[in-house]
Amino acid sequence: MTPSFPIEFCVLFLGVVLLLADAFFPDMDKRKLAHIALVWLGGFLVATFFLRPALLWASPAGFYLADPLGIFFKQFALVATMLTLVLAIEYAPVVERAIPGSKPGAGLGEFFILPVFTCAGLMWMASAADFIMIFCALELVTISFYIQVAYLRKCPASLEAGTKFLILGALSTGFLVYGITWIYGLSGQTGLSAIAGAFAGIPAIPQSSQTALLFGLGLVLVALGFKVAAAPFQFWVPDVYHGAPTPVTAFLSVGSKAAGFVVLMRVLGPFLTVPEIETRVITVLQVLAGITLIYGNLAAMPQTNLKRLLGYSSIAHAGYLLMGVASVGSPLAGRAIVFYLVGYLLMTFLAFLILIPVAKAAGGDDIAHFNGLGRRSPGLALAMLLAMLSLAGLPFTVGFLGKFFIFEAAMQEQQYFLVAIGVVTVACGFYYYLKVVRAMYWQPVPVDAAPVEFSPLGRFAAAFLAALILIVGIFPKPILDILP
Amino acid sequence: MNTNYLFLTIFLAVAIIFPLIPLAIAWAWARLFSPPKPGHEKLASYECGIDSTGPAQVQFQSHYYLYALVFLVFDVETIFLMPFAAAFLKLEFSAFLTLMVFLLLLVEGLVWAWAKGILAWK
Repeated sequence: MTPSFPIEFCVLFLGVVLLLADAFFPDMDKRKLAHIALVWLGGFLVATFFLRPALLWASPAGFYLADPLGIFFKQFALVATMLTLVLAIEYAPVVERAIPGSKPGAGLGEFFILPVFTCAGLMWMASAADFIMIFCALELVTISFYIQVAYLRKCPASLEAGTKFLILGALSTGFLVYGITWIYGLSGQTGLSAIAGAFAGIPAIPQSSQTALLFGLGLVLVALGFKVAAAPFQFWVPDVYHGAPTPVTAFLSVGSKAAGFVVLMRVLGPFLTVPEIETRVITVLQVLAGITLIYGNLAAMPQTNLKRLLGYSSIAHAGYLLMGVASVGSPLAGRAIVFYLVGYLLMTFLAFLILIPVAKAAGGDDIAHFNGLGRRSPGLALAMLLAMLSLAGLPFTVGFLGKFFIFEAAMQEQQYFLVAIGVVTVACGFYYYLKVVRAMYWQPVPVDAAPVEFSPLGRFAAAFLAALILIVGIFPKPILDILP
Repeated sequence: MNTNYLFLTIFLAVAIIFPLIPLAIAWAWARLFSPPKPGHEKLASYECGIDSTGPAQVQFQSHYYLYALVFLVFDVETIFLMPFAAAFLKLEFSAFLTLMVFLLLLVEGLVWAWAKGILAWK
């Protein structure tokens, strides 16, 4: 064990220090905690660019893997957490109103601090190369999400969301552990590379062991399918996304999904080296991707609430990403998935960032509350337009290129049927994303419309995200070059 | 193979019969020597003491759960300290450091709860 620079511990330590600061200075303005966390997380983000794989702690047991993919997703987690904190600062008045305390700002501190712990979990998950490590990191993420989803504990919708998420999350964790025990029972290993080594030694795996192995892998797939919101494990998504506080919804949809896909790619690695198992796993993934695409896109069409709509859209995007995972034989697939996740982060956070001030001014988060936003506050409407066009996949936005790369990888693997489903569902996507655009530009301004207030920090973040959506959409090379 | 199953069958039969014998004897004894004679005193919740009043299902303060949660800090600490103490002399310095970090994190939970005023009974 050689201690060098375990950056996750720094993030965890930051969270602990902030918690103590929150407890010992009850009279301070809690927004300061969020600002401190933002600055430090930004510092860690800069530090990750100076990390070389050799500089990181690489344990001989193979628990922790600091390859370029791992480091990139650490940066991804840090950026997502910082954006969540920006959203949380915007959202703070709602939390203050929902948690009446003896002092103003009571209960606000933990709302800003819990995402930091989630971030540490996401960063460990990006580097986990052992089922034990994967499980621990996943639990750190999931348990901190349980609290965040149910954070507005006086508000029935948030409580309902928290309960649903807790029960289904615990169930999926059970599936994961049970699957891991089956795989351990057959290979005698929990490390992913050790499992691959265990299979490489045998010339042909007997039929009975193959069945048992597929059973174990199937259970793990169920659990990860729950995390990434893939059909048919998606029932929790709309209600939880609707009821959770908006910053938590954004973090959940981006962070949980990204971590789930990193783990999925890592876990599938050793199993795809065995040809008999590979073909069957790919078939399962194709079916999952197809169902998820159809369900997510069709169910999103009749939605009138923007948070629910984005929940279904999150299912749909999980479908495109699963399509990439199903084409994992192609050398383009890994890059396509990573690029898609980056794009998903940019447009999802932008959409939720605009939703918060609009919902605050209009008193609700339905699509109808966006009526006439184009005339009320043209800047916000323009940013939302960009987010929606990118989510739908219009050219010159990052959403288009993400889908393009995924389809390219799928075509290379000759998955024509899946690509056909993908193209048709993209067309469905245009309908429901443009419903928001229609409300903003073609609906009259409501007579009692309150002015939309948006903080300078929020404005800056929105402009930054909108610019990145365009820049990366036109010039994707820097992101593509990150992964070898 | 067959003898193994025979052995198991005998074992199972003995396992069922053996506890049944004292139960049967106890039942017979009760039947013969202490016939049931229920009365008001005998059916009361507490044979000696004051008669209980009111329903049993009442609401009470659930503040205790916080104490139970904070107690976990000490509980987990003991579980990890025990094997650590047993193997202390064979461990490297890094193991000591790791455990101290772990204890620090646990203690931090207690300090946080204390500073938040959770330990004050309201």
